[in-house]
Amino acid sequence: MTALTIDRINKRYGNLHILKDISVSIAQGEFVSLLGPSGCGKTTTLRCIAGFERPDSGRILFGERDVTRALPEHRDIGMVFQSYALFPHMTVAENLSFGLEVRKVVPAERKRRITEVLSMVRLQGYEARFPRELSGGQQQRVALARALVIEPSVLLLDEPLANLDATLRDEMRFFIRDLQQRVGITSIYVTHDQSEAIVMSDKIVVMNSGVISQFGTPRDIYERPASQTVAGFIGRSNTIVGKVSEALGPDSYKIETLCGTIGTHGPGGLVNGTDVRVMIRPENIRTRRHGEAANTSTSDENVLGGSVVSATYQGNGTQLKVRLASGDEMVVDVSGRNPMAVGEEVALRFAPRDAWLLAS
Amino acid sequence: MSATEAAPRIETPTIGIGKVGPVWMVLPALVLLIGFFALPYLTIITMSLREASTRAVYGEGFTLAHYTTALGDFYIWGILGRTLLMGAIVTIVTLLLGYPVAYHLANSRSRWTSLLYIFVLSPLLVGLVVRTFAWMIILSNNGVANKALMALGLINFPLQLMNNPVGVTIALTHVFLPFVILPLLGNLQAISPDLAMASRSLGASRMRTFLKVTLPLSLPGIQAGTILVFVLSISAYVTPAMLGGTGGRTMSVLVVQYLVDNFRWPAGAALAIIMAAVAVIFVGLYLKLTARAMRRLP
Repeated sequence: MTALTIDRINKRYGNLHILKDISVSIAQGEFVSLLGPSGCGKTTTLRCIAGFERPDSGRILFGERDVTRALPEHRDIGMVFQSYALFPHMTVAENLSFGLEVRKVVPAERKRRITEVLSMVRLQGYEARFPRELSGGQQQRVALARALVIEPSVLLLDEPLANLDATLRDEMRFFIRDLQQRVGITSIYVTHDQSEAIVMSDKIVVMNSGVISQFGTPRDIYERPASQTVAGFIGRSNTIVGKVSEALGPDSYKIETLCGTIGTHGPGGLVNGTDVRVMIRPENIRTRRHGEAANTSTSDENVLGGSVVSATYQGNGTQLKVRLASGDEMVVDVSGRNPMAVGEEVALRFAPRDAWLLAS
Repeated sequence: MSATEAAPRIETPTIGIGKVGPVWMVLPALVLLIGFFALPYLTIITMSLREASTRAVYGEGFTLAHYTTALGDFYIWGILGRTLLMGAIVTIVTLLLGYPVAYHLANSRSRWTSLLYIFVLSPLLVGLVVRTFAWMIILSNNGVANKALMALGLINFPLQLMNNPVGVTIALTHVFLPFVILPLLGNLQAISPDLAMASRSLGASRMRTFLKVTLPLSLPGIQAGTILVFVLSISAYVTPAMLGGTGGRTMSVLVVQYLVDNFRWPAGAALAIIMAAVAVIFVGLYLKLTARAMRRLP
């Protein structure tokens, strides 16, 4: 069932076209991230959903209900802010009670629900505290509880973890995701942190300059990015330019490049001669010393020769930069101890299924 | 390492006042405060306790007579009451007029905002006497206000807008409006707009959001602004002296009359001290009252 539909919304501020025909449809209980660099329109999209911005055109539906023109207070949303936005003059219990009082929930029921939601966010016994007496992580959990206690139809989160330190942020990702799944609430999560989006989301909307670059599962977006922009924004990637020389199947191709022919997979329907970029993730490339026996190599594996330009120790492995014959530089992750030295000749190996085509 | 050790050591420049620095820096203000505030007050207090004299500013002996006379005089009580009442009215009216302006300025992102700033500050840009003369032109019996009202047929006879508390109140409200707007503006600007959004997202209307979130959080600004306006209003001299006549006479006008016209320096000093004491008591009570309302604020 569709919980939220965004139907071709546009938003302009003067000459700036902030949102260009944004359309997304989100199923009941899904966790969807809006991901993109700052200024891409993700926060404006969230504010349109919340009702703090009104799109110039297009519609927003909650289920079957058209809320495009509804005020925020009539939309039945829960919202969590980067700044937490807890009312500083109210205790934790009063903050949680605020939305329930508006909804005219009777005191006994209010108390029951506040106790219940506080135990969900593991803050039992904090009812009488003021927000200033809590740590950042605790404040954000109260903010989450305040948004959930009113049992809204959609939960909106605007970079809720951006103000927390790295360790706490990692913890909170799982905490929020776990809570969201237990409650089963449809959630929209705005972030510029790609790893956050990948770890937490059912689906990700990648946005760039007011348009949706790609909408798909984290796996789709990481392994089969729709464009160079998406590939560059999500994780690290290497690209080699080339031309389609032969279609081997519906989604596998042979690509002619300056370093020879490479077997890849890619979106269907590419005709011979199309200019493309081959994207390979650093962690999918294995290395072999020049002249070493290719004992584990399978017949269709791609092999590119090059020389090591730099080797950077990173604790859990080493990052190599390898210059190919074509002059392209490839970033490669090597695990374990690194025997490769700068200047050494290496062979880079990767399977065709780990190489993905981007339109050039 | 050896290379850095070989390089000449650069001394980090330090400010040569050492640990006494902060104390030293307070001195100029302290001197000013003692010289221009504490000493004059002491002089006035001493003067108020001296016997009256016809040959000098005050006589030799000490007496409490000026206080007992003043406090036993219904006329003075009346003027004191009027002064405080006018102060209270000016304070309330400036708050009611100023709050919406401050709220708008704090939330507006329009480029006309800077123009509004100029409007807000405009009463302070014109000299006090000139501004009061302007009000005389507007408020006198055949002034702009009365002529306009009569031309519109709303009144048949000119309203008495001057030489009474009404004129003083109107003019003081105009002058002191910026003093309530500016502290409030600073306060309102410091409140994160996320709080109002959070309130709306929880289902609260604009009005409920204002009453439950914005208003309580702006109490410090209200407190600061109202105290400023109240203290300035009850101690104003030029405006009540020029616009008040006898009907709108305030304590400060009375004090100056004692000192300058009647040459009763000790009695006038006693009146000034009574006025100051009453102001301190009122502001103290007000602080206590508002502190209760603000006890939940950070």
